Amino acid sequence: MHDMSRLTTGISGLDQILAGGFIAGASYIIQGQPGAGKTILSNQIAFSHLRDGGKVLYVTLLAESHERLFQALDVLDYFDRSKLGNDITYVSVFQTLRDEGLDAVVKLLRRETKRQGATLLVFDGLLNARDRAETDFDVKTFVAEIQGQAAFVGCSVLFLTSSSVKEISPEHTMVDGVVELTDTLAGVRSVRQIQIRKSRGSRAIGGLHEFEISDVGITVYPRLEALADPAIAALEPATGRIGSGLAQLDTLLGGGIPRGSITLIAGPTGGGKTTLGLHFLSQSSAEEPGMHFGFFETPHRLYAKARSLGIALPASGSPDLTLHWTSLSDNILDKLGDQLLIQVQALGIKRLFIDGFGGFERAAHHRPRLIEFFASLVDRLRALGVTTLATWEIREIVGTDVTAPARDLSAILDNMILLRQVEEDHRLVRSISVQKVRDGNFDSAAHLIEFAEGGLAIGASLHHELAAPSSDPING
Amino acid sequence: MALILVADDEYFLAVMLADMLEDEGHEVQTAPNGQAALDIMRQDKPALLITDFMMPIMTGLELAEAMHADDALADIPIILVSGAQGGIAREKPELFQAVFDKPYPREGLLAEVERMLNGKV
Repeated sequence: MHDMSRLTTGISGLDQILAGGFIAGASYIIQGQPGAGKTILSNQIAFSHLRDGGKVLYVTLLAESHERLFQALDVLDYFDRSKLGNDITYVSVFQTLRDEGLDAVVKLLRRETKRQGATLLVFDGLLNARDRAETDFDVKTFVAEIQGQAAFVGCSVLFLTSSSVKEISPEHTMVDGVVELTDTLAGVRSVRQIQIRKSRGSRAIGGLHEFEISDVGITVYPRLEALADPAIAALEPATGRIGSGLAQLDTLLGGGIPRGSITLIAGPTGGGKTTLGLHFLSQSSAEEPGMHFGFFETPHRLYAKARSLGIALPASGSPDLTLHWTSLSDNILDKLGDQLLIQVQALGIKRLFIDGFGGFERAAHHRPRLIEFFASLVDRLRALGVTTLATWEIREIVGTDVTAPARDLSAILDNMILLRQVEEDHRLVRSISVQKVRDGNFDSAAHLIEFAEGGLAIGASLHHELAAPSSDPING
Repeated sequence: MALILVADDEYFLAVMLADMLEDEGHEVQTAPNGQAALDIMRQDKPALLITDFMMPIMTGLELAEAMHADDALADIPIILVSGAQGGIAREKPELFQAVFDKPYPREGLLAEVERMLNGKV
């Protein structure tokens, strides 16, 4: 078998979707409209290649001066001016193209690649080369010649082009792969996505993956459900039960929460979902470190809430409990998943409280994939032996009607607890009922639940409570 | 009227600098790389060379070294204008009489050009 060693991009998410990186010695087109991030991406790959001991020839055909390009790159962590002219050389072939044509550019690049000992050639401005070509055939010949002579000396090539209108450009047929960057609007929000449109000789993960541009350059977040995780298939389900932090709830559940399971707590706002989570986290310990992964209460407010309810959490700063708060603004769904899983693994979290799934839902600009995303997230958490509680807000603040939290969501959950609020004689009655427990018997009757000293208190079965006439409608 | 040779692969920078020098009354030729500059100066010796560093085929440093080794060209003063290699050039004062980092102030470069040309005449 031919040895297809890889040219890694240095961007872990991109290497993942490329199944290990570009193929060394192969040619790729990176396309996207101006501002999509082509230049940032290709320079990031170039500087990563330098760190791997490679040499880069960066060729431009554009009017923009190299110095302006360097100034733009100066703000990025990976950019290192001391490498310029040594391991990475930026040259403009604008004049050669204009005065002598495509053939002369091909010749010049062959000489330069050899002279610099380049192992990566970045050609920025394929569209300009196309403008200079008289026919599609000329463009294809140009691309074929460049990649042919580069491959001959084991040099990989990235052709950058801002063409995005035409789905299939003639030069696409010539290269080994096509990477497309897009920047579109989802409502009012900008969404940057990367797609491997073609990948010859390598199984890339298809479809759209979100990315962001920050000081570190480009970070790619592969779609979680598209990534294979071998640990999941090999998983032996965890056994036994762990305490929910509320003895009466453990009784309803038939002896606690199944270890390594995922429990959804559905209910209206003010129904006690977060409080239930705080009870659960109060049991965090060195053996079972806990994490609160939330979108609403900041760590400071969570501690204040626990104090006022009389729930004793591990002290602030204790390694037994980590509070991770993310604001609801412009999140990337797979970034959230990534952050959650990375921390769970790094800190060995065993008790996880997600407050709530709605934060993930809001980050999803393409909702139909949410079920697959949650299924994949939950599978990974199970594989890590994490016992997870997650909240889901039900819109009806008062009412007996219960709708499934989201179509098909219940199917991927192990256990479900429902919190409800019903108005009785102008008084809000809260109830809790266990709807489902994986592989276990449980008490399905709705029980009264009240906020009391020390947190939530579960009372009698609601059936009896409501059947018995109350002598005092105010205080029950 | 002195002939000044400008070597830069970045076409618009070369043209801009050439226009600027022509406005000051100089005759200017441009070259897209070091080799092309060397070919020109062997035909028509300039009074001064202003060169970029990173260029295809022959860099500004290689050009300066080639001129230094050629008795016919060794006396041409060289100004290097560079985005990032100014430091390398400053370590070689025997090759480069002046070094400007891009972006450089127009007035400063013009003053240096005048100083060099007048110093020679």
